[in-house]
Amino acid sequence: MARRPQIVAFGGGGFSMEPGNRLLDDYVLGLTGVERPRVCFVPTASGDADHYIVRFYRAFPSSVCEPSHVSLFRRDKGGGIDCDVAGHLLAQDLIYVGGGSVVSLLGVWRAHGLDDVLRRAWQRGTVLCGLSAGSLCWFQEAITAFHGRAARIEGLGLLPWSNCVHYDGEPGRRAEYLAGVEDGMTPGYGADDGAALHFVGSELDRVVSSRPGALAYRVEAVEGVARETPIQAVCLRDERDLVAA
Amino acid sequence: MEPDNTVLDDYILGLARRPMPRVCFLPTASGDPLDHITRFYEAFSDLPCEPTDLSLFRLGRRPVDLRRLLHAQDIVYVGGGSMRNMLAIWRVHDLDAILRECWARGIVLAGLSAGAMCWFEAGISKSRGPAEPVSGLGLLPGSLSVHYDGEPERRPAYLAAVASGEVPEGFGADDGVGLLFREGRLERVVSSRPGAGCVRVRRAGDRALEQPLHVDLLADREPLVAVDADVREFRAMSRFRAMRGGG
Repeated sequence: MARRPQIVAFGGGGFSMEPGNRLLDDYVLGLTGVERPRVCFVPTASGDADHYIVRFYRAFPSSVCEPSHVSLFRRDKGGGIDCDVAGHLLAQDLIYVGGGSVVSLLGVWRAHGLDDVLRRAWQRGTVLCGLSAGSLCWFQEAITAFHGRAARIEGLGLLPWSNCVHYDGEPGRRAEYLAGVEDGMTPGYGADDGAALHFVGSELDRVVSSRPGALAYRVEAVEGVARETPIQAVCLRDERDLVAA
Repeated sequence: MEPDNTVLDDYILGLARRPMPRVCFLPTASGDPLDHITRFYEAFSDLPCEPTDLSLFRLGRRPVDLRRLLHAQDIVYVGGGSMRNMLAIWRVHDLDAILRECWARGIVLAGLSAGAMCWFEAGISKSRGPAEPVSGLGLLPGSLSVHYDGEPERRPAYLAAVASGEVPEGFGADDGVGLLFREGRLERVVSSRPGAGCVRVRRAGDRALEQPLHVDLLADREPLVAVDADVREFRAMSRFRAMRGGG
């Protein structure tokens, strides 16, 4: 059965930021519809930091999935998948992109042709997800604050919107985002830490959260002024409790 | 940064115009891992210089003015790793332009492996697995292939690329060899190990010809200004404070 293209963009959260809270990571695993999904971690934005890769394998053990990672910095040393990266990525059920520098991430991906590979994986139904840089990268435009001051960047453009992460956690980003949207930036979405935007195709399907109170916002310019419209998030903790009951 | 052999590092420090040169390590090609950075400090802390590092993957915690930091150096020392990734990341950070400015200002540019080939028009990289040509910054004319003895798969890929004209003529350098260019011209080939060689590679018709170059074996421990224990301890403390403050 053909699977629909899906992207889950975390405002922040998952194993990288919420140790002990599995809700967002379990949510993306569940979207694959596979009992033991093939999950590939792409830590490019961190420079393929060893400690980050280890944390991924702890959070995604082989008891629940088939984990792997792609290291673009150590392709000649057998780090992770070292042969056919494109073929490996296209065979995944879930591709999980870590945080770090979105500018470096996009530069390296383009140098390896991964921008094109990830687009094909998405079109074929591999669920794409990530936090921070791993969220911003999927959008047409985004706000990064990795280099100090918040600034606008262009992403891969799989989603025809803009994105701003850590919306509640780092206020400088929100201010720059609102100013950017007033200045002609593509309309889009801001997401708090713990909130995740779930897109089916290019449209937002729902917002889920790993903690009560985490919100997402639709952000657009109305008569030249940025307007934020809160979007209610489904708290995954409540949802799980309902299922358990 | 060869363990227990500092002659190439000493040589590079000797090229700077200052007795205590400022040396900035750029570990971009390896993704800025801490162990790589630590090895740099271990190698350079005992030498007469002021070592620092620029980790582009840590700018989130340590934002710096890249141009100002690099312009203030006497030596920029580039580490090895993925040449393809390094150049892609440099370009998105405008470091290709900044390093060209550094070079024009007389700052010594040095490096090993990816950090050596990047200055040329092209090099032979294994950034995608197989050894293959990759374009460099082109500050120096021609091409360079490193680890000529240590990683034998590079040499045939390099000779084939020169023979076909895919990369311009250039040099093949063994591990332990350094090529000194001044004003874009090869001035001297030096080495830290007996037997390490360097060849000039030229294209003749559809073939590539290798011609050995004279290599000067650097004397062990060319005497430089000694650094006493107090200075070393002071520097170690400063770094510790800077890391804590910046983290």
